Amino acid sequence: MTDLHLDGNGMAGLLGDILGTEPTTVVRRCQSCGDRQPLGAHRAYRGAGVVLRCPTCGDLAVCIGFQEDQVTVRWFGAYRFALDQAPEE
Amino acid sequence: MWRTATVRDVVQESRSARTIALDVPHWPGHRAGQHVDIRLTADDGYQAERSYSIASAPELERLELTVELVPDGEVSTYLIEEVRPGDEFEVRGPIGGHFTWSSDEGGPLLLVAGGSGLAPLMAMLRHRAARDSDVEVHALISTRSPDDALYASEIARLRPRQGLEVSWTYTRTSPEGWEGWERRVDADMIAATGFGDPAGVRCFVCGPTPFVEHVLGLLVQAGYDASSIHAERFGPTGG
Repeated sequence: MTDLHLDGNGMAGLLGDILGTEPTTVVRRCQSCGDRQPLGAHRAYRGAGVVLRCPTCGDLAVCIGFQEDQVTVRWFGAYRFALDQAPEE
Repeated sequence: MWRTATVRDVVQESRSARTIALDVPHWPGHRAGQHVDIRLTADDGYQAERSYSIASAPELERLELTVELVPDGEVSTYLIEEVRPGDEFEVRGPIGGHFTWSSDEGGPLLLVAGGSGLAPLMAMLRHRAARDSDVEVHALISTRSPDDALYASEIARLRPRQGLEVSWTYTRTSPEGWEGWERRVDADMIAATGFGDPAGVRCFVCGPTPFVEHVLGLLVQAGYDASSIHAERFGPTGG
């Protein structure tokens, strides 16, 4: 564990714009340990991009890479979205 | 979606923190605990984004952010030293549903803040006061010194007092004549400020990452259910 990790809340603005829904309460089931945790409870590590990791086992959850005017996101595991969570506006 | 915010007011909150009050047209409202992203754009097009917790209650029409100066931080330096009423920048939000509380959800609540991690928990305390809620709330606030303490006089005046217990610990310098805690948060403090029966208590912990990790361990050891503990970590991200 380094001092550099934050949590999924810090990436919520970007992910919310991409997904069109409030992302921190989206529950992810880890492909590695099987634990279910909201994205807001995941750990975020910043480097050239941002990596979210499972708070239970530390395996990859979301990898976010930034290019000039684009963002590339790789998703790992299964994500449960509530259908009544319509985007605001 | 980014909106243009106009700075209405800037208040020195502590030695190294300022509260910035913003007018944001068409702001959809927020819940206590949520945050916003701020985007600054330089004349040459260079952009920098940071996240800041909302410190104001949802009941207040303007949006207040408390920003702590990060030495050499490009965004916090601007927000602390440069920004003036009338200035404009972009905000995105409100953001977050995991680290939120509304008085309708009841309690009891255990709030643990380290440094400027008090900001989103202050939104909860202000919301509780604005709603005249008597939900039982115990708060433990860790700060370096009286000069660094945020919102101290307002917290002392918060109403209703019933059901609200606030404890402070000073990690470097304590006020003159202080007989309370003068150390980092430990198991004894959690036992003294927490609840006799941890069942059903919702915990909110916010502060620098090492502080949050430490407190999470203490809460779990004290018997609080990990799934009822909500954490928000910050820094260092370049400020």
